[in-house]
Amino acid sequence: MTLMETKLNTDCIIKEINIEDEKTKIRLMELGLIAGTRVRVKTKSIFKKTILIIFHSSCFTLKENIAKKIVVNYA
Amino acid sequence: MHKILIIGNPNVGKSTLFNTLTKSNEHTGNFHGVTVEEKHKIVTLDDERYDIVDLPGMYSFLSFSYEEEVSRDIILKTDATRILLVDANSIRRNLYLSLEMWELGLEHKILINNYDYFSHQKNKINLEKLNNNFGINAEIINAKKIKNNKNYIKNLKNDTKNSVKLPYLNYFLMIIKNKYNIEDKKIILALNGIFTDLKQEQINFIRSFYPEIIRARYEYIDELLLDSLEVRRDYVYGESKADRFLLNPFVMIIGFLLIFFVSIYFIFFLIGPILSDWLNALFDFMIVSPFMNFLYLTVDNIWLIEFFKSGVFSSISTIFSFLPQVILLFVFLTILEDSGIISRMAFVFDDFLSRLGLNGKAIYIMLLGLGCNTMSAVATRNMNGKNLKIKTAILSPYISCMARLPVFVVVASAFFGSKAYFVIAGLYILGVVVSLSLAWLLNKTILPTQNSELLLEFAPLRSIDVRHVLGVAKTNAVDMIKRIFGIIVSVGIIVWILSHTMFDLQYTDVIADSILFAVAGKISIIFAPIGLNNAGVVSALLVGIMAKELILSTMTITNSAVNNATLIASLVSATSVIHFSTAGALSFLIFSLLYAPCSSTLAVIKNECGKFYMWFSLISQFTLAYLLSFIVYLGMTQGFVIMLMIAIVMALILVSIMYTIKKIRRHKCLGCSRCK
Repeated sequence: MTLMETKLNTDCIIKEINIEDEKTKIRLMELGLIAGTRVRVKTKSIFKKTILIIFHSSCFTLKENIAKKIVVNYA
Repeated sequence: MHKILIIGNPNVGKSTLFNTLTKSNEHTGNFHGVTVEEKHKIVTLDDERYDIVDLPGMYSFLSFSYEEEVSRDIILKTDATRILLVDANSIRRNLYLSLEMWELGLEHKILINNYDYFSHQKNKINLEKLNNNFGINAEIINAKKIKNNKNYIKNLKNDTKNSVKLPYLNYFLMIIKNKYNIEDKKIILALNGIFTDLKQEQINFIRSFYPEIIRARYEYIDELLLDSLEVRRDYVYGESKADRFLLNPFVMIIGFLLIFFVSIYFIFFLIGPILSDWLNALFDFMIVSPFMNFLYLTVDNIWLIEFFKSGVFSSISTIFSFLPQVILLFVFLTILEDSGIISRMAFVFDDFLSRLGLNGKAIYIMLLGLGCNTMSAVATRNMNGKNLKIKTAILSPYISCMARLPVFVVVASAFFGSKAYFVIAGLYILGVVVSLSLAWLLNKTILPTQNSELLLEFAPLRSIDVRHVLGVAKTNAVDMIKRIFGIIVSVGIIVWILSHTMFDLQYTDVIADSILFAVAGKISIIFAPIGLNNAGVVSALLVGIMAKELILSTMTITNSAVNNATLIASLVSATSVIHFSTAGALSFLIFSLLYAPCSSTLAVIKNECGKFYMWFSLISQFTLAYLLSFIVYLGMTQGFVIMLMIAIVMALILVSIMYTIKKIRRHKCLGCSRCK
């Protein structure tokens, strides 16, 4: 299951980040989105192109194309 | 001179600390990436000079964006005292940058900001344990209030000693050294994205450890924070109950438009004119009247008297006629930035803007454009991706800046009376519609972007600090006066001389006989199809390319007006040099909204995007302005059906031209993922 497919406001644990672009992948990791991190989707934009995620007490906006490549499990 | 660098993640309060330490009012904002270039201020304390530098925000040394590269280069190349400002609410992520700096041997002092808010939410940092665990001497501060600035700055100088241990680093050094015989220093630099004298295979090998070292750094931070940080389990920084409404697109869009247009009405039609009249009356009472009375009594030269009266003083009076409005608009924009609304707007508008090949950050650029197009063109550095950056820079001048607004107010008031406000609101909407339509067209033709990334830290909603808002408004007003006073007065004098001098260099009060009229009259034939076949209008538009504020001052001087009221009266009189029909006035308003960016915006576009796009911006704006003015003028004089037919033909021609340019440039990359 990807982050994009999860239920709103439900805690998940990141399993894997399958992004080909190394630069983006590293940036996400530097922000703290690494395997094992607890994350939840707070809200999705009207056309579901952007999501608002919460991890480590911070809010970040994330594009759908990136969120689709973050594999998670429900916590 | 001693340098002090203020370093930190985006939106942790670096510019606020900079303002507090230097007692200045530089632009700050509750949004990611407000500072795109470093800011310096020199402070002298007991004969010793300190250069305090505010750096753009950065998450790590593996730079991802332009502003991160700026910061990284300065930190690495400058011998200075380094302050790492850390937000208590995201201390875990903020300390990541600290670890990188310790790895690179960059000593720094850690200052923890926003602790009041953090502790108010029932969270806690045990500073003593944190300092002991880490081996640092971090301090909790409030970036807005620092007692005894002088001593604080002085003490910062020698306060960076530490005994930080980085146990995880040896593991990576050992593995890399097992394969390649590289110095420790070079390996550490490479682990932080800085490669010196390394072969490509060595670089690739070290790069393969990036995911692992990131994990190791975070594991170490977690270990250090284990007994020194207590965070409520459900605590989320940046989240607010108001988000339930603010993140709803309908509430956000309608609410924003309502607030914006009501503010414009108050600023430009209610409060602004009263303040302008007061300022002009004061100026007249204090300077103009005494000086002119003196001149009438002592000088018998009509040229000199007219020169001061309608040349020098009219130009200065133009500045006062829009200065209060500009200050009030800055107050409005600062409130918007400080409140944290912009993060929400970026999120809400991202869906729509993505379809046009932009992203949510473009909303910030557009809002900046409402103040000054040059500022918004500079802020496009914040956009990741070449095509995205160029596109945003080209689009930003279509948003009506505050220099254009006084022109709109004067001309619309003269011709549309009580409906003037709606005409101005329409012009703003037209600017945005043209800008977004062009974004769509550019995305489909020469500047495509695919799924532009939007990774933004969500700023918290904050209450407004009135002192800060007024301080920023004051700084902006002073900056603006410094920037435009000289140019408005000097160009005003030149325009006055040219409009009151004949080719035989004799003075004339008949402007139709002047040099300006003769030259501009020849060009004005080009503007006949849009109803602006008037030498005075053409001169105002031409000097307006230097700075938009000059349009109004040139109109004032050419019509020998002394203030906005007399200018408004003169514009409807057929005996004035500059006068319009109603159709001509509307055409003029549309043309002056769109026709060209000012010279400083063009310079920034050239600098950021290159010469080609500067010319593209200038030509495309002029063409679009001309076409739209022509269509509207035609509609008002010849009827709606003819207007519609011409509009369709022109739209088709425009689209064909764009596709032809795309074909001509097809050998170049059109923005593949690698270019992004």
